[in-house]
Amino acid sequence: MLQKKICMVGVFGTGKTCLVQRYVHSLFSVKYLSTVGVKIDRKEVRVGSQTVSLLLWDLEGRDQHHDINPSYLRGAHGLIYVVDGTRRETLDQLSELRELATRTLGDVPSVVALNKVDLADQWQLDPADESALAAAGQHRVRTSAKTGEGVEATFHWLAEAALGARSA
Amino acid sequence: MPPTTASPVTVDSAAVTDVGRKRSSNEDHFVIATVSKALAIGESSLPEAALANRFGASVGHLFAVADGVGGRPDGDVAAQWTVAELLDYLGEAAGCYQGLDTAREQELLARLEDAVRSVHVRLMKEYGGERALVPASTLTMVLLVWPRAYLVHVGDSRAYVFRRGRLQRLTRDQTFGEYMLAAGAWTEAQATKPGPATTLASAIGGTDLTPVVGLIDLEPGDSLLLCTDGLNKHVSDERLASVLEGSGDARTIARRLVDEALADGGSDNVTVVVVRTGDA
Repeated sequence: MLQKKICMVGVFGTGKTCLVQRYVHSLFSVKYLSTVGVKIDRKEVRVGSQTVSLLLWDLEGRDQHHDINPSYLRGAHGLIYVVDGTRRETLDQLSELRELATRTLGDVPSVVALNKVDLADQWQLDPADESALAAAGQHRVRTSAKTGEGVEATFHWLAEAALGARSA
Repeated sequence: MPPTTASPVTVDSAAVTDVGRKRSSNEDHFVIATVSKALAIGESSLPEAALANRFGASVGHLFAVADGVGGRPDGDVAAQWTVAELLDYLGEAAGCYQGLDTAREQELLARLEDAVRSVHVRLMKEYGGERALVPASTLTMVLLVWPRAYLVHVGDSRAYVFRRGRLQRLTRDQTFGEYMLAAGAWTEAQATKPGPATTLASAIGGTDLTPVVGLIDLEPGDSLLLCTDGLNKHVSDERLASVLEGSGDARTIARRLVDEALADGGSDNVTVVVVRTGDA
């Protein structure tokens, strides 16, 4: 079966693990557990007439102790950058993360998950932020691992892009 | 195991197991193995140096602990089969791990997971599939192909990495309590209380099996700790970090950890595998 490696990339605490948990296991954990190293999950999806196995590499988040390990990105067919919409600084670090990924992988399909959209009263991103992403040609989806909003769409969009079924 | 060089680092590892102060038998099992290419040269016209590096060097290390589940028959058997099956698999595939590319890396992880599932199926068949009577076991294993440590985990045995004074847990206990805690239904105190909370939600031979797969790139100076729950029931993370920070080889550290568990009551079998890495 066709396999595609997808990496979850972002600052610590943005909800990368929760998004994978929601997508793969339909679960949401209220307890924050930081990922150490990489946790790998799999999910089979149908894209058109093809079945593809998505290998979801949930990378430990960037923090003051360490940056993203480029070797974890090697061989990725797609990236999900996860931004915590309630912490603006996680969007501010997006360009650095993209630069690192591009240096390592070249140009691979990517999507920005603007996560925690369920926390509307704490939302710190404004429409201009999303417009800027759009103007840069960056696909983005508002997501909530808690409610499931946008989660399926994010992964499916990237699966299609990784298969070349849509332009990324 | 005496320190070996998995260029460019040294890997010093040791295991200590103890029946504990309350149990009559030890149902834990462990293994430490060096994975190497199994080609033994009789004679050759090639220079010795070329031969030694091609065929004699270790390509990886396997570390595993397994804890037979209490309250079921033959927990010891389940743990033993689990460790033996891993060795069988790695024995067949020995030498294939050097310079893993991404596709082969995925294959390796999938096959390690398959090895775990095959023990599960074998236990089910052997014991007639009557689940309440099937022996069960946890498993925490690391295959280290420097610098990458591949991890497969089932149940409530644990793996930790100790790096620059900071202890981090690589595994999450697959217990009913942990699931309830994650779901927000229970508090931390409820989730760790002896009783139903400690029932395994995933085990080899258990009602459910959900192997968790992951990896981490190690750095020289890192220590790895694999243990059965007989350790962490009695020794806090702070104490674990303190002992791992101390001086001594892997065996000394492993012994100290087990002694701490025993000193605190040793209510269960306790097994630890300690791996110390350093610059060659």
